[in-house]
Amino acid sequence: MDPITQGLVTIAVGVGGCLAYFYVSNLLLDKVIFPARGAHISRNINRANLVRPWLFLLPVVVLLTLYLAYPVVGSFVRSLYNRSGDEFIGFDNYTSLIGSGEFRVAFLNNALWALVVPALSTFLGLIIAQLTDRLKWGNIAKSIIFMPMAISFVGASLIWKFVYAPDPDIGLINAIRGTFGLEAVDVLQIPFWNNLFLMVLLIWVQTGFAMVILSAALRGVPEETIEAAIIDGANPFQVFFKIQVPQITATILVVWTTITIGTLKIFDIVYAMTGGNFGTQILPSYMMQFMFRDDGRATAVAVLIMLIVSPVVYSNVRQARKELS
Amino acid sequence: MHKPATFVSATALLIALGGQAAFAQDLIHPIGEGDFNWDNYEAFAAAHDFTGETINVTGATTGDDANRYRNLYAYFTAATGANVEYSGSESFEQDIVIASQAGGLPDVALFPQPGLAKDLAANGTLVPVAEPEFMIENYAAGSSWRDLGTFPGEDGESNVFGLFFGTDLKSLVWYSPEQFDEGGYDIPQTQEELMALSQQIVEDGGTPWCIGLGSGAATGWPATDWVEDMMLRTASLEVYDQWVAHEIPFNDERVVAAIEAYGSYALVPEFTPAGPEVVATTDFRDSPDGLFSFPPECYMHRQASFIPIFFPEGVVAGEDYDFFYFPPFEANADLGRPLLGSGGLASQTNNNPVTDAFMAFLGTPFAHEIMMSQGQFLSPHNDANLDIYTSDTQRQLGEILVNATSFRFDGSDLMPGEIGTNAFWTGMVDYTTGADAQSVADAIEARWQSIQ
Amino acid sequence: MSDIVGKKSGLVWATHLSVLALVIIWLIPTVGLFVSSFRDRDQISETGWWRSFLPVEQGLRGRASVDDVIVQGDTFVLTGSLFDDEEVLASVGEERPPITAFGNAGRNPGQFVAGEVADLGDGESLLVNPDGTYEYRLAEDPGNRGPRIYFFASTPPVFSFANYRTVLTADNMDRAFINTLTVTIPTTIIPILMAAFAAYALAWMDFRGRGFMIACIVGLLVVPLQLALVPALQMHNAVGIGQSFLGIWLAHTAFGLPLAVYLLRNYMIGLPRDIIESAKVDGATDFEVFLKIVLPLSFPALASFAIFQFLWTWNDLLVAKVFLPSAEEAKVMTVKIADDLLGSRGGDWGILATAAFVSIGVPLLVFFSLQRYLVRGLLAGSVK
Repeated sequence: MDPITQGLVTIAVGVGGCLAYFYVSNLLLDKVIFPARGAHISRNINRANLVRPWLFLLPVVVLLTLYLAYPVVGSFVRSLYNRSGDEFIGFDNYTSLIGSGEFRVAFLNNALWALVVPALSTFLGLIIAQLTDRLKWGNIAKSIIFMPMAISFVGASLIWKFVYAPDPDIGLINAIRGTFGLEAVDVLQIPFWNNLFLMVLLIWVQTGFAMVILSAALRGVPEETIEAAIIDGANPFQVFFKIQVPQITATILVVWTTITIGTLKIFDIVYAMTGGNFGTQILPSYMMQFMFRDDGRATAVAVLIMLIVSPVVYSNVRQARKELS
Repeated sequence: MHKPATFVSATALLIALGGQAAFAQDLIHPIGEGDFNWDNYEAFAAAHDFTGETINVTGATTGDDANRYRNLYAYFTAATGANVEYSGSESFEQDIVIASQAGGLPDVALFPQPGLAKDLAANGTLVPVAEPEFMIENYAAGSSWRDLGTFPGEDGESNVFGLFFGTDLKSLVWYSPEQFDEGGYDIPQTQEELMALSQQIVEDGGTPWCIGLGSGAATGWPATDWVEDMMLRTASLEVYDQWVAHEIPFNDERVVAAIEAYGSYALVPEFTPAGPEVVATTDFRDSPDGLFSFPPECYMHRQASFIPIFFPEGVVAGEDYDFFYFPPFEANADLGRPLLGSGGLASQTNNNPVTDAFMAFLGTPFAHEIMMSQGQFLSPHNDANLDIYTSDTQRQLGEILVNATSFRFDGSDLMPGEIGTNAFWTGMVDYTTGADAQSVADAIEARWQSIQ
Repeated sequence: MSDIVGKKSGLVWATHLSVLALVIIWLIPTVGLFVSSFRDRDQISETGWWRSFLPVEQGLRGRASVDDVIVQGDTFVLTGSLFDDEEVLASVGEERPPITAFGNAGRNPGQFVAGEVADLGDGESLLVNPDGTYEYRLAEDPGNRGPRIYFFASTPPVFSFANYRTVLTADNMDRAFINTLTVTIPTTIIPILMAAFAAYALAWMDFRGRGFMIACIVGLLVVPLQLALVPALQMHNAVGIGQSFLGIWLAHTAFGLPLAVYLLRNYMIGLPRDIIESAKVDGATDFEVFLKIVLPLSFPALASFAIFQFLWTWNDLLVAKVFLPSAEEAKVMTVKIADDLLGSRGGDWGILATAAFVSIGVPLLVFFSLQRYLVRGLLAGSVK
């Protein structure tokens, strides 16, 4: 079998198998196990409806348990053991982490990342989604804003190196400074601000994400509400901030959450740009220093990262409760 | 009972065909031609036959480098009939750790440096080599090599867990002979002369050094080489060994002195094109470019023997660039002329006959020669023919290696990963950008204490 | 609506201009990457990409030829053209760039202006013309090796497709491309299917444990992938999947699911309640409601998740390395590029830039083709 047919067959089998599961299992549930006929018709329908949510959830639950939940539990256990994994040391990994200066720097930086990156990405994404919405060349503009998302982080880091490089022959910023007669600086070594320069990279990438999701949400806002507001004499700013934005707050929360979580997982940028030097360490790249070397400590950092996002998880659950009630 | 026989013969035929296909891979030097140890090859071929078997090898070499290794493996296939599947990966270290935990180990792993092999020997992933004395008998400074490959195994007993294959020399300074001639500069024979030369170049309006520590997540490692080289020139070999083994603390005054000796070059603003801050972020791959520009951005670059890969295209060894030995201090003449280097370790994960044969193959002078003939490979093998080296520069490097009396391994590769490939690196970046040597050493020592 | 906006033409202009400004800011780094992909490593680390369109003052060197030395009294006169020198030819090839300055010392290679005779002292002089011809007057016999001449030539910008040729014509790149598609297409579609059902259940079906499930999904979003690699691979080896395409489908699917469920549920919960409830009142089962109403209405969310899942699997290196065999015939493009094209110690900036650009193409195509599903009016129409 040549590779192309092999590829096509595997795709067909994979996708087909998945579709078949939902179709056949629903069929079984409705026609065979709890058929909506015969003596127990209403009881059967009720039972089928009790089972069905779990039928719908089953593949997701199984995969998530095996591939994510189980490793999380395993990692937590691992974080209680020493470097080589043969000695139980309780919370020593955690206390030594919290006691280390580098961890504290990474923690504070990460807090900054988790505030700035989602805020700016979401804001810019929202503005761009709205501005391009009715432009003739809006789709082109969107594609351009989206493009960084399609570039691998390694590629992105490479090109931003040629923006930030201290050599004015190579670094765009210093080339511009040079034309104004300013001295070259290494922006990645300016304390505190270097963190913001690294965040620019992620904002550059993630704004495309925010834009796509928010653009879909904005288009979901019923036209009638907008038209009504315009007839009432609202100006475009009022329409945007008072009519459209309130209707998509749930989506904004989604985008915000996703980007926050993203910033807590992405280590490539810091890894490639500064290697965590000059006070730019963040938790994911700090974790990667230990990963596959001192798994006890690496997993401890991972558990701490997961603890940090618990407020985000909480706010989402609260939002969900509100929607459900 | 006829049918199984047909099946067997069909399988044999398939295997034979497969073998033939492997044979068909071009050998870069036709058997019998050139100054190679062909007798050695023929003898190996006569003694081994593994037709139809396959051996999996993984390593960190990728791209064109990996093809040089594949060219070598073609001879193993030609000699024994066994197929060699090599896969090289940028993330080799991570991959091999995952494989050791989850399964899917290769038969032979080529570690770029022995630090990780030590961990994998301790958890039982690797098995000891069949001939522990091999490197002593066949390599220059063999006992150093043997000791470097000796780790405690799963049972706690020390054994030799591999064969060093492929070496880099670190104690080298690269320069442009023409620019030296023009400036009227002589090759310095002592550190004192080297420092005087550096100052002379500054006085003449030039910049003596190009230094770049940038290397993504590994930023800082070039400075650790500097410090190790200085350590070997300011303290005895014993002290160096104690330092690496953490028998003396990292913040020992002798270590701090070695760091400061590095600083006596890297921290002088006039010694590098844009000063120490830029040293810290200049990519090490781009840093030697300054040697080749007109006017020269710098005159000297201290880096290992592999660095010519990153020189601009078209520059010629011996004409556009050459190297000299990073000299010892006249004041410490009793320390001799120590050599710092690093090397790849080939280790096996099982004792299958074909795996053992492959390891034996890597030990033949012939295998070393095939690698030497492709450039960028230095061998300490006593019986390898030095004439095979592709350039005088390579040959001189090879001679330095075979004539080495006191050879020391890159210390950061031997320290625990958290130190050698992390705290030491970042510490050197801190030092280069303004932190003081003592506090940097103190911080590294604290980190080392914390992992014990 | 557009009429009303049209009246405020000032605002329209402001919109155009601000979008243009943002687009330009966003484009600058991408353009840099694009330009760099046509340059080789030496050029990239030599000059900024924004100057690659301009002629460069390139420092070069050659030697005066000693083939025909004319002796005039005490002076040895060397003449010829620098563009006959092998060393110069090796750097400039066919080009004959105009020479702007020259010198006789590497330390000061552009000391003299081309076309003017330079007095070198001791009765020696050197003249280099812009066309490369020179006259070197020496006080001593040069022997069999001519003296150095350094010069600056204004070389035109050089771009080449060499990087693209390297990336696109690498052995088995076609196979790697197909492998990548074999990985990405199922792992984009399967999680969407699974997640859509699950999201519907979490949004519109009432059952015990719903809140807990939602919390779990959000919580699992943040699990670093590295934690899951070893346990998942162990599991694959234990059940006999090993390293295979089936394994990577499962892994990618599982890793993509939390975001898929999260995004889709949040979209679905925003669908108008009355449509779904009236359908249920009419006797439609959940399965029918899902297939006939919710799924079509969720197209914008499905499309946007598809874009991101596709992107992620397309650019992924880590998961592919761990879950696919390392054999040549199973390599995906990212692995192929990382392991076969970037040399050891990876400093091939040109190849990196090119690889980034080659890999951008297909995801952009996916983005364009799915963008039309991110349309307005799906809901509006159904509400009416």
